Amino acid sequence: MPYLLALLLTASLFSTSSLASTPTSCDNNTDCIEVGRWDIGIALGYGNKTNPLKDFEDIPLYAVPTLAYYGDNWFFDNGNIGYTITEGENYTVNLITTFSNDSAFFHRWDPSNIFLLSGDTNHNAVTPLASTMTGRTAKDPKAIGELENRNFTYLGGVEAFIYTRFGIVHATVAHDILDVHGGTESKLKWFYNLPLNKWNFEIAAVLDWKSEEVVDYYYGVRANESLYWNQAYQAESAVNKSIEFTGQYVLTEHWNLLFVARYTDIANEIADSPLLDKDYTSTYFVSAAYRF
Amino acid sequence: MLSTTKKLLLCFFAGSLLSQSVLAKTSDEELTPLLKLSPEICITSADERSCDIEVTLEWQTLTNRTICIISDYKDLKQWCSTSPDIHDLTVNISAERDIQFVMIDKDTHETIAGVKLKVTPASPPQVRRRYRNPWSLF
Repeated sequence: MPYLLALLLTASLFSTSSLASTPTSCDNNTDCIEVGRWDIGIALGYGNKTNPLKDFEDIPLYAVPTLAYYGDNWFFDNGNIGYTITEGENYTVNLITTFSNDSAFFHRWDPSNIFLLSGDTNHNAVTPLASTMTGRTAKDPKAIGELENRNFTYLGGVEAFIYTRFGIVHATVAHDILDVHGGTESKLKWFYNLPLNKWNFEIAAVLDWKSEEVVDYYYGVRANESLYWNQAYQAESAVNKSIEFTGQYVLTEHWNLLFVARYTDIANEIADSPLLDKDYTSTYFVSAAYRF
Repeated sequence: MLSTTKKLLLCFFAGSLLSQSVLAKTSDEELTPLLKLSPEICITSADERSCDIEVTLEWQTLTNRTICIISDYKDLKQWCSTSPDIHDLTVNISAERDIQFVMIDKDTHETIAGVKLKVTPASPPQVRRRYRNPWSLF
């Protein structure tokens, strides 16, 4: 949390000037949207999202949709629902619902994976390979049995944007509203947009804090999965760190080329879980995107 | 020799037929505008607030009257036809606001009809900040 506060305070010092004044046109723009009109698009291409869970397969990416609708105050944006409480030239405060990324590693049809279509007809993109994690003999005290469900949940909370000349700071605090794990997540993101002729680049750095309840629910080991690891691994709150890059090249009014990459350094508190065998996850996606 | 009653009835029928034809004529006149403007609306672009357009005024005259067109447009304060046979006028307009055209009788200055050119700015679509990168679902 000290990271978050320090970054937030630093960013707020630079918030006197803004490059993000209210736009008047949304042509080929990713940070502005027409009020009262659905924004629908789909990106078709190829990519991959690595799965840090031991013996779980990576998630291939073939298609990614975008679906958004903004009213005067309400908005729906790719599964997130929000309400703008207040907005000024240099700031925005929204009430929001959002969802956790963690359950996506466990479920093929998690909302985060919905359109990450695999060519595999049995849809086993994230199913364990059934080698080391399951099927071990009971004599091995470190063997982990079949995993219980780690369910998807919605989070509800508040987010704030601060628009500065050095980029945009986005801070979010949200709590589990479906009482799946009862935990809280907080995110601090800095991102910077750089339009360059037909190119638009966005770079971002993210600190993603998860409370002990979240870490325990997704990465803790239940007693019936492994009594040994249930005792040996104790979940703690954790901060994942990510860097992201999005590049878009405008081909026509409707078509863009899209290049997306993300690398997440998973916190030690999570990486120490016996369910993981990697302390990172990375995603890339190269595609042609069509906006209707 | 017709009786007085029959004379009265004849007058009544003749009168009613006459009044019907007058009513029909009045109705036709009301349905057909005396002064027409084409086009009636000019939409200005978001970039240029001025409306630059060629408009045509057309009128019909029921009697052989010579007319004048007066307006609040700076370049057409008053225009008068030289002959009752002229029934239209084409004007190049460059304006930022509505223009009222009025047709009057050249001799009596009686107002005959009027039309308005509406200058309407094209309202740009309302936009707002988008809070999520469209392609950040994963």
